[in-house]
Order: sequence, then C-alpha cells, then structure tokens
Amino acid sequence: MLSYVLNRFKSAIVVLFVVSIITFFVLMIIPGNPAELILGTDATPEMIEDLHVAMGLDRPLYQQYLSWLLDLFKLNMGKSYVYGESVKTLIARSLPVTISISVFAMAIAVFIAFFFGMISAIKKNSIIDYFSRSIMQLGAAIPSFWIGMVFIVYFGVKLKLFPVSGFVPINQNFIKFINSIFLPSVVLAIGEVGTLLRIIRSSMLDSLKQDYMDMAKVKGLGAGKIYIKYALRGALTAPLTIIGMQFAKLAGGTVVVETIFALPGLGRLVLTAVEHRDIVLLQGLVMFITSTVIIITLIVDILVMFLNPRIKSFHQGE
Amino acid sequence: MRKNLSLIIGIVLVLIIITVWVMSFVFMPYNPNEMNIPNKFLKPDLQSEHILGTDNFGRDILSRIMYGSRNVLLVGIGSVTLGTVLGIVLGAVAAMAKRFANTIIMRIMDGLMAFPGILLAMMLVTVVERGIQGSIIAISIFMVPVFSRLVYSMILDTENLLFIKAAKSYGSTKSQIFFRHYIPAMLPRLITQFSSAIGSAVMIETSLSFLGLGIQPPFASWGLMLSESRQFFLVYPYLAVAPGIAIIITVLGFNLIGDGLNDILINRRSHNE
Amino acid sequence: MSDTVVLNNLHIKDGDNTLVNKTSIVIEQGEIYGLVGESGSGKTLTAKAIIDLLPEGLNYTADKIITAGKNMLIASSDEKREHIGKNIGYIPQNTVFYLHPMIKIKNQIGDGYIYHMNKSRKEAMEKAEVLLKKVGFENPKTVLNYYPWQLSGGMRQRCNIAMALMNDPKLIIADEPTTALDSTVQRQVMELFGAINKELKISILLISHDLGLIKHYSHSLAVMYAGQIVESGYSKTVFNNPKHPYTQLLIEIIPSLKIKKSEPLAEIPGFVQEKGRDADGCLFIKRCPKAMDICKEYVAEHMDDMQDHYYRCNLE
Repeated sequence: MLSYVLNRFKSAIVVLFVVSIITFFVLMIIPGNPAELILGTDATPEMIEDLHVAMGLDRPLYQQYLSWLLDLFKLNMGKSYVYGESVKTLIARSLPVTISISVFAMAIAVFIAFFFGMISAIKKNSIIDYFSRSIMQLGAAIPSFWIGMVFIVYFGVKLKLFPVSGFVPINQNFIKFINSIFLPSVVLAIGEVGTLLRIIRSSMLDSLKQDYMDMAKVKGLGAGKIYIKYALRGALTAPLTIIGMQFAKLAGGTVVVETIFALPGLGRLVLTAVEHRDIVLLQGLVMFITSTVIIITLIVDILVMFLNPRIKSFHQGE
Repeated sequence: MRKNLSLIIGIVLVLIIITVWVMSFVFMPYNPNEMNIPNKFLKPDLQSEHILGTDNFGRDILSRIMYGSRNVLLVGIGSVTLGTVLGIVLGAVAAMAKRFANTIIMRIMDGLMAFPGILLAMMLVTVVERGIQGSIIAISIFMVPVFSRLVYSMILDTENLLFIKAAKSYGSTKSQIFFRHYIPAMLPRLITQFSSAIGSAVMIETSLSFLGLGIQPPFASWGLMLSESRQFFLVYPYLAVAPGIAIIITVLGFNLIGDGLNDILINRRSHNE
Repeated sequence: MSDTVVLNNLHIKDGDNTLVNKTSIVIEQGEIYGLVGESGSGKTLTAKAIIDLLPEGLNYTADKIITAGKNMLIASSDEKREHIGKNIGYIPQNTVFYLHPMIKIKNQIGDGYIYHMNKSRKEAMEKAEVLLKKVGFENPKTVLNYYPWQLSGGMRQRCNIAMALMNDPKLIIADEPTTALDSTVQRQVMELFGAINKELKISILLISHDLGLIKHYSHSLAVMYAGQIVESGYSKTVFNNPKHPYTQLLIEIIPSLKIKKSEPLAEIPGFVQEKGRDADGCLFIKRCPKAMDICKEYVAEHMDDMQDHYYRCNLE
C-alpha cells in the first residue's frame, strides 16, 4: 500500500515538473520585449536595456527557467507588473473568493446530484429518472455566462433577492457572505451537476444489482436502511473520485463566473494578466492553480483508496 | 432496435445549426455588421423586418447569429480536427516508439491534461494573436492529449488481435498496417470522442469570445454578442436570448450525438463479447 | 401442527417464456424438505418465489403461497417485508458478494435482529457471538471484526447461517449450502442444520442437486425437472420406491463407495430444456428410457394419500 502511495506521489511530481516547463516556456514565446512592455512607450532604449538585464532576461532560457523554478520553491513568484504587488500577495488576496464559491458550488452540486442520482437509480425509467437525465444533459450545455446573466437580472434585479456583484468576506457578515456567493455558486454548480449525477446514477444501478441487496431485502429492513446503508455504500468509490476531480477543475475554471458577478477572485486575476500580458503574474497564477489541481487530485485518490477497505487490502501486499 | 433518443435529438439539433450555417452563405436578411442607429433596440417581432430584433447598434440580430455560426463552427470543428490529427499522430508515434520517446510524449500529454481547460486556453491565447486563428490553435492544443491517449491505448489494446499479427507476418510496413488496419478499428471510438469534443470546443470558444479573448470584431461570435449585450441586459434582456439559445443548441446537439454514439458502441461491444 | 409452507400451483414467467410450471409444495412444521434437481430446473426460483425475492423482470402467479403461516398473496409489501425479516432465514448459494464487502461482519450480521426484535446493539452482538460459536467459529469476537473478504468461502457461508438464525426463524431456506465447500466443512454444516432442526424445530427447505445429501438429511423431498415437480413425498418412501424414471436415474447415479474403480460413473445424457416448459406432454420425454407415445401429449398425475407420495408419469 505504501508503495502505491509512493508511486502516485512520484507521478504527481513528474506531472508538476512537466507543467512547470510548459507554463514557463509557453509564456516566454510571447512576441515583444517584456521590459519594453513594462516600461511603456516613453521609455528610452537604455532604460529598457537596464531593466532587461535587471530582470535577467538576457540569460539563456534554461537558466531563466531554473532560477524561476528555484524561486517557486521558495514560494517567490515574482512581482506583477500590472499591479505592482508581489504575485504571492495577489493570490492570497483573491484565493478566499475562489475557494468560497468553489466549495459552495460543490456542496450544492453534491447535494442535488446525490438526491436525484439515487432516486433515478432506485426508480429507474420513471418520470423522475427522465427528468434527472435531462438535467444532466442540459447542465453541461448551458453556458455559465448566459445563465449567470439571467440569474442576475431575475433574482438580482427584478426580485432583489441577491446582490448582483461584489463579494463580502465571511468574517465580515455571514449572511451577506452567503448572499454574495449564492448566485455564482449555483451557476457553477449547474455546470457540474450533470456529470456527477450521471456517475452516481450508474454506480447506484450497479450496486443495486449486487447480491448484498438480496440480503438486505430478505432481512426485511426498511427502505432507508436498504438504500443508504447497503446500496449507497457500495456505490461511493466512483462518485468520490469524481467529486475530487471536479472540485479541482472548478478551482481553475471560475474565470467567467467571477467576471459576470464581479468577484475579485483568482479567475479575474488570470483574465487581467492575460489581457495585459503580465507574464510574471500569469506564470505564477497558472503554476499555483494547476499545482493545486494536481495535489487535490492526488489527495482524493489516496483518500478514496483508504475509504474502500477492499482496495486498500488489494494494495496492502505491495 | 431500441430507439436511441439522444442520438436522434442530437442529430436534429446539429442539423438546425448546420442549416443556419448554410443559410448564412445563401441568404442573410441583412449585413450583420451594418449599423443602423435609428433602428436600434428593436424588440423581436415575427411580423417585422427584424425577426429577432436589433442590437445596440441597430444591427439585425438574426443575421448576426447566422454570421456568428460561421466562426463558431469554424473554430469548433477546426480546432477539434486539428487536435485529433495531431493527437492521432502523437499517440501512434508514442505507441510504436521505443521506451524513451514513448515516455516523453506521454508525460507531456499528462502535463497538458493537468491544466484546467479554460486556463490552458487562456494561457495559449496570451501567446498567439487573438482572433480566429489564435482560438483554433489554443483549443486544438487542449484537445490533443485526449485523442493521443485514446489512440495510444487503443493501439496497445489491438496490437494482439489476430489480423494485426497476420498483417505483420506478411511483411506490411508499419504505416501500411496503421492505415489499413488500425484506423478502421479505432474509427468508432474516435468519431464518438470527436463529436463530444466539438461540444466542449464550442463551449470554450464562446467563453473565450465572451471574455474578449477569442473572436474579435468585426467578426461575430455568439459569445461576443453575449458580452456586448451585458451592458444593456437589464433593460433589454432579449438581446441575450438568441445567442444563448444558439450556443445551447449547438453544444447540446454535439454532446448528445457523442453520447448516443457511445451508447451504441457499448451495446455493440457487449453483444460481441 | 400447521404447515410451515403451502405452495400451490406456482407459475413463473419471464415475458412469454415459462420457467416454472404448476409447482406445489407442502412443508410440514419441523421437517427438512429437500428440493432436488439439475441446475436450471427451477429450484432456486421456486424458493425465491416463496419469500418474494424474485428479480424484477419475472412474473409469478400461484393459487396459494403461505409462508410460515402468512398468506403472501394478500399481504401488503410492508407486512411481507416484516414477516420475512422476522420469520425466515435465507442462506444463498455461496456467492462472494452476499455479505456487503465494505461493511464489517459485526455491522451487518445484527441489523435485522435489532430492527425486528427491538434489541440493542449490545444484545445483538452477544447473540451473534453465541451463534457464530454454534456454527463452529472458535473466536467469534475476531470474526465479527473482519470484513467478508478476509474470510474463506466456508467461513462466509457459516456467517450466512449464523445471520439467518439471528431472529429464531420458523423457516430456513438453504440454497445449495454445501457446494463450493470442502467435504469436512460440508459435513459440519449439514450436521449443524440437522441439529438446529432437531433442537429448535426449525423447518428447513434444503435445495441441492446432490441427491446423496438429500437422502441422508431430509424428511421429505420433491424432485424438479424443467420447472415442474415430477415426484415428491416422504424421503423414505420415495427412495424405497421411486416411481418417476428421472428419480430412478438420479438415484442410480449417486456415487457410492461400492463402485469399482473401472466402472464409469453413470450419467443421464442430454440436458434440461429452457423453452416450451408449458407444454402438455412430459418434458422428460427426450431423455426418458421408458418413454411412450402417449407421453408426448399427456402426463398422468398420481397421488397416494396414505403415503403422501406424488408423481407425474404415465407409468404405474
């Protein structure tokens, strides 16, 4: 079992390494001189040259990469030229927003997906089943920006139930906090519910076919016990893995929602960085977000392995 | 034979979009970029000259939708095609190559897959010039790992099939084997993946355009139309309806086709076993 | 003494295809009733019909189904559920996933007991330990803490038996309880069944394709072929005087220690048919050494009331 964990660690590190190479070198291809971009149009050639050397841009690429990588280890991601602050600070400031909506969105998606997924499987081919499966398909096809706009107009302006923009930190006012993240989280959840529902439904269907369902039935237990204690328990492995993956994916894909709802999160930072070609900021952001995705996926894989005692023992001999 | 509802609905939806696309070359009611300020903000009215209304510049929305379909489909289908071809090449090379090259290619694919989709696309768009070409390149790179992995594993799976061994035994060259035997075997799954990928590609493209990173004016894209409508959305909500629905129909259509084909494949496979 | 099981005229269909036809069984209180037949003869389906455990696609009808005193045909779902949980113990063929692989033995063996008998978890664990000891475990406490996949097939089967006994059922249905067990464990398990039948007067429906087993342990039996009962009655009677050719052949092929090494083991050529089980004629006709022309269209039923011996055959 330990060797399985170590193996996963090893591949995660390799992937991280590859990601860092891709991130660094892709962004270095940008046409134009970074120093020139930073200083703007009234800079003299000498100033540009000085900054160029000061930023270390005259060194061979691989050296630049290595020093960037080393800096990363020291958690130094450089200074954003758009904002003038250190990338680390910017990330720290924006992180709570993105985490809040990601977590809340996952919670909503999990709740809805488990509820409808289980019922769909138990009452296969009933009206609820068809309804759920349609939701599945629609959710994936509805553009988040579109539904976001619809929500803003309807719930925000017409019904005045929620604020249309802005983020209220959790330590300021809990109710206002929930209010400010509610709509964006629902929009995000709509995108994720479909996949999760599908997995839960199919896992449950498999679980319901197993022999232990006979056992539960013959013991004459009530519906709740039968479906939750026995059927659901046998159906959790796949959904949990997917939840982990989705959460990680969400964290990287909040740009659009943050833009619409004017939330100062990581996604918006990325957009700004892209718009202004702020390489340093972009490199730091991409590395940070992607590393988080990889690490979360790794943790989820290991957790799921622990949760399923049979898989754990399967690997125990290793 | 059991009717495959997903497939049918998917095909219908895609046909609708293709019709719109074809019509854009044959007959557009108005010039999509022609501004007509006095006529701005006309509400949709089936009786009037502007069936879907006009936008803030007085441009006819229906024409813009039709015009937009050209680019959305161009980017969507173009990027997936490019990604598929590259993916097939890389996957095949990796499968048939020696240990070292094989590992490098697959590790790079793993790395690419680790990036969340939009993030990768945005990163790539920073590097290339924004616009149609840029979007195609960015999205196609996003598609490559999926297809290369698919091809890689399919080649390894079928390597042991009898007809491959037979072909090898009478001395066909590697590329002959590849084109005449492997590709037909892999075609069903590739097509399924291709269709679903177009759904994702359109979604990413419209998101990019919405953010201003994709197709640029004077070209039209539904994502662009949505972002342009944002300022006026509170007063004129109808501006967002048409492009939104167009996107939904396209993405849903291609996704359903992909799902429907997938169902058929699974059923066929279990019959064969 | 009332009968534990009265099954009258059971039909089981899968769409248009008949699987079990005109089957009737009466199990008296406190007896071990053997249900014999080749695989595919419908024994398991019949047993499952008695306890409402048939898989969803199958339809069944019967004139009477009385299980452990309850009329199953008129009872509501909830009533049936409670009745079965309280009064019936079911021991399936030794399948790997009957016990839930992700749940420890202690957490699944007692939940029926706690639910139906209104007992506490502590009481359930105590009873489980007693029963596990009875089925031959020396360290019940350790077993309780195991997951099912940590136990061998025989051990799992014994856990199934203990679990079936938790509620002091009136009827136990044991489906091929000894297949896939090695012979020592087989013996143990069958001795156990004999013991609980004697001591606790529990009726047992014992399903097996092993006629030797049935001969040794059952009081009454029924022989099934292609979804029908071809012969039934007290075991002694049937074994002394088997009337149906199929029964006769089955008895002949019971391996005994007296077979010489050079003699081949006998077998009945052919196989059980899947379709056309609702035909009027005899279904055994293709494999029967004594078949007559009339057997194609008609089969006589004989019932000897004195001996309770029933058989379906045109021979006398």
